[in-house]
Amino acid sequence: MANVLKALKKFIRTLYILALMAFTVWYGFFLYPVIFGHGDENKNAADAGQDLAAFYGEGTTDEEKAFLKSLKEQQQTATTDLGYMVIEEQYVQGHFHHVGMKVEPDSNSVCMRCHGAVPHDRAKTIRAFLNMHAFYLACETCHVRPEAAGEGPWIFKWYDKETGEVISPPPGLNTLKEAMYGNYSAKLGPGKIDSNGQFRFLNGPKELAFVNKYLQEEERLNDTQKSKMKNVLHRNVNEEPLLCEGCHTAKKKPYIPFLEVGYPKRRLHELTSTEVVGMIKKYQDFYIPEFLRGGGFDHVKPEEKSRAKKPSVEFLRDSTTPD
Amino acid sequence: MNMPGGSNCSRRDTINRMPASIGKWALSLTLILSGLVFISWSPGTQAADELNCVLCHKYRGLSRIDEQGNFRLFYINEDLFKKGPHKRIQCKDCHRDIEKIPHDPAKKVDCTVQCHLIEPSGEEKFSHKPVAEILSKSVHGKLNEDGDEKELAEDFPHCTSCHDQPLYRPLSFFKGHEAGISERGLSRCKTCHRTGDFAEDFYAHVTSRLQKLRVSKEIAGICAKCHGDEEFQERHGLQGNVVASYWETFHGKAAYFGSEDTPDCIDCHVVYGESVHSIESKDSPTSATNPKNVAQTCRSSECHSRAGENIAGYQVHVDYDDPEKYPLQSYMLTFFKFLMAAVLYFFVILIFLELLRRLFPKFSFIKQPEAASKTPPGNQ
Repeated sequence: MANVLKALKKFIRTLYILALMAFTVWYGFFLYPVIFGHGDENKNAADAGQDLAAFYGEGTTDEEKAFLKSLKEQQQTATTDLGYMVIEEQYVQGHFHHVGMKVEPDSNSVCMRCHGAVPHDRAKTIRAFLNMHAFYLACETCHVRPEAAGEGPWIFKWYDKETGEVISPPPGLNTLKEAMYGNYSAKLGPGKIDSNGQFRFLNGPKELAFVNKYLQEEERLNDTQKSKMKNVLHRNVNEEPLLCEGCHTAKKKPYIPFLEVGYPKRRLHELTSTEVVGMIKKYQDFYIPEFLRGGGFDHVKPEEKSRAKKPSVEFLRDSTTPD
Repeated sequence: MNMPGGSNCSRRDTINRMPASIGKWALSLTLILSGLVFISWSPGTQAADELNCVLCHKYRGLSRIDEQGNFRLFYINEDLFKKGPHKRIQCKDCHRDIEKIPHDPAKKVDCTVQCHLIEPSGEEKFSHKPVAEILSKSVHGKLNEDGDEKELAEDFPHCTSCHDQPLYRPLSFFKGHEAGISERGLSRCKTCHRTGDFAEDFYAHVTSRLQKLRVSKEIAGICAKCHGDEEFQERHGLQGNVVASYWETFHGKAAYFGSEDTPDCIDCHVVYGESVHSIESKDSPTSATNPKNVAQTCRSSECHSRAGENIAGYQVHVDYDDPEKYPLQSYMLTFFKFLMAAVLYFFVILIFLELLRRLFPKFSFIKQPEAASKTPPGNQ
């Protein structure tokens, strides 16, 4: 018994010494930047910027300058200390209004690896609205339609923007303020039941890993192969995406089953209300939804332009009046 | 129906003598006008979102990339918008070019226009024009003394280069000094000033102005947008990164760790008591940072009020990475860094070796002779 106790004591002492040794080593590493360096939060970006600046010669074209600027600005946040509260928010250069939130990157979107988080630009009248939807809807929600794939309706589920895992409906859907209207740290994406009876997103971890690998190895392909792969990668994308009235309609069942995916009834009424549907109608009159075709054309017909110039502020007043 | 007050009765009599249709029309018009006058003159009235702009702009991801490649976020956080003085104005007071919904890309806002608010001291419509005039005469103005545009005029700041939407930073002095509105203090205001949010706004506005609206760290961050940019410094022939050198000072470190009392850029570069927009070049004889005036600037009543002339010799913007310009400071810093490293790492290594010995008490690189090690001490 005494021997066991002695061995145990020796073992604990050894563990204690090893822990202290590990701490001493860590402390040695910790001291170095404290003494010699000043933490630079954007060091990596700055280093990358300097490398590129050396390569491009301080950015001689607008494109190069924009690239360097983006590298310098990435992941910046702004802080406003009001004493009784501190606002931590996304830094947007030249932005006047406080947004009071950070834009969480979607680390699990396959499309955004190339197209970015603000991908819509062609349809000038509605591009901001489309980008707004990209904030909380996976791209394939509108751009990959089940009927085109010859399959039944998709099953919609929420996924965590950071981990990509399926989560229950985010609490923000029911919150009156704060996370309401789009900042859920999650996205709604379509999926289906696979041959094993398990739910899987149309673009899940497997597809993400494939695209990441493709981007890594793309340089090994010749130009023809690149074009071929581009077609393969986009084969499920429909030329005509889901349009606004697919979901924002009170006349038929919305494409996204709002109640089933966790929206409260109040939000369902709002999304299919006269207010939103009326606004969409106004935009429908204003543009031709052909934005997936080749660029260069004017989306607004001359007669529509003249109609649009008429002051239509009254429309909004009417639309907010309860029925 | 009884109408109290003689004047009301006589007006009603007049109306009664009119033909019925005209009477009804006049009555309706009077009611509408009275309503409008009441709404517009009511002191506590806040600007409602009359055009219902937040119908769209309440969505957080409303955004696009503009033609210059900049990310534009159109989301309006209504809660935060209502925490500042601009809550009393309407969207259209600033975004005047928006005439229709859906609207075209909005033009840049001109902060010098008059808005619908009445400036209470002069009873004129409010405008930021006086601020713009002060700024135009400062070193940050786009025009030179002859009224011509300076070289690289596009680099010179406009309002939103430094300002985002202002927010109140109210203070409570009721008992002690703390951040936020004192409900007990406010209740005294509201005894008389009951209409709308007048008392809350007035309280928040005045107490916010009794302190700096931005903490020192934020101010330095604002100046760093330009003065911390190496390309900007090169374009304008500025000497070094003055913001980085500020962070190296005692003042800068205190600011970095959250002190609000420590001086920031504005405290030293603006003549005491003048508008913060009136910063002058240090070459100007009236500048706060002109070598002749530096001591006086440091001696302002809230700082080193009893300091002598030698305080002006304190070098704020030392570039420690430039030994040619600042040899003494640069080599001294290097010496102290290595001294500190030598002392600290000596003890870190000592502690590590001590622990190692405790782990292996009998370990030695020197092998003792077998016979000697076996012979008990004292038998030799």
